[in-house]
Amino acid sequence: MLAKRIVACLDVKDGRVVKGIRFGHLRDAGDPAECARRYCDAGIDEIVVLDVSATLEGRAASHETVATIAREIDVPLTAGGGVRTEDDAIALLEAGADKVAVNSAAVHDPSILSRLAARYGAQCVVLSVDVRRTNAGYDVATRSGTHATGCDALEWVRQATDLGAGEILLTSIDRDGTRAGYDLEAVKRFGRALRVPLIASGGARDAASFGDALLAGADAALGASVFHDGDVRVAEVKRDCIARGLEVRL
Amino acid sequence: MRIGVLARLHDVTALVIPGVAHAGFVIDAIDRGGWRSELRSAIASGLPTLGICAGFHVLFASSDEAPQALGLEIFTGTVRRLTSAKVPHMGWNRVHALAPTFESGWAYFAHSFAPPPNLWDTAAVTEAPPPFTAVSAKRNVWGVQFHPERSGCYGARFLKRFLQTARETVYAR
Repeated sequence: MLAKRIVACLDVKDGRVVKGIRFGHLRDAGDPAECARRYCDAGIDEIVVLDVSATLEGRAASHETVATIAREIDVPLTAGGGVRTEDDAIALLEAGADKVAVNSAAVHDPSILSRLAARYGAQCVVLSVDVRRTNAGYDVATRSGTHATGCDALEWVRQATDLGAGEILLTSIDRDGTRAGYDLEAVKRFGRALRVPLIASGGARDAASFGDALLAGADAALGASVFHDGDVRVAEVKRDCIARGLEVRL
Repeated sequence: MRIGVLARLHDVTALVIPGVAHAGFVIDAIDRGGWRSELRSAIASGLPTLGICAGFHVLFASSDEAPQALGLEIFTGTVRRLTSAKVPHMGWNRVHALAPTFESGWAYFAHSFAPPPNLWDTAAVTEAPPPFTAVSAKRNVWGVQFHPERSGCYGARFLKRFLQTARETVYAR
């Protein structure tokens, strides 16, 4: 049986790990390679590195940072932030990433998903979707959450997976950095609708909140500030998962 | 895919065909680079070879991922699209070794296609479910569906074993 994954996310700005609340109020949380190494030793299943200011600054994610992290770890690495073109994605993969996360660029031109899948396979293409809750459901926001598109998020991920996205990284902007728990309603809704793996992100609170998201239908649960601040340890999360009957890698 | 950076094959003691690619793209790169006959004859004459993920799939005759493309025809059978509830099969899963050369343990997978188990060269299986071939071994050629380079200590031990075997192999060029 495929194990559920516990994922650590490194939001990177100017070569440093940062973390904020609802995509704002960024503060320093350490050196990316050191953090990655530490999480890897602690038993993390996967690392995601997102260059959070790349799109807004009109540039691609820093491949130096990705390369330093990729050398340090022996678990999979997903890289994203500012991926506008196929070449941006190729640069991240050449730097050692195993998967590429595309967000704003795919909303602007969805064909980037099919072009990347044709070259690297769908398993390499992660669609990162930042959503805000509305009365009707969930809307897609782009450009680090600064631009509301008015698109229905569920409709968008369905279209994206048809085109070649092999995994969905679903981030609730409302919950990001708030420690209020994952948006379980969103996880249920997207988990049911999807035929590709779903990574739940935004709102991790304590060890038990990861299991909540996984039991709600996520294939992986991602944490950032809870890990950076040392509030939650990976081993604790996994022990809680096992106690609740979830299969995780030890 | 870093297939473009290969030296000519008479210089090498072992060959690794890496993954993270569409199988059709790899086969195309092999043919565009004029590598097909050289690769096939080097492998047939005993060059220790390891194919990873898509690099494993191209060692078969064909794959559902690129039905029109002809593979290197080292392993028997066809690589099939997975039929699990969620595809790609993504994350950590258990490898069950069937041959004493290999070890069971947790490995990292990221793929939508895999070779079905067979009686001839399947050396380890994994349950998606249904089961698929996690490791194939046939004389000097190993193929793995998981990513040993991203599978922690288990993957590192797998790669060490491959290199050890390669070092012990006398490959007459």
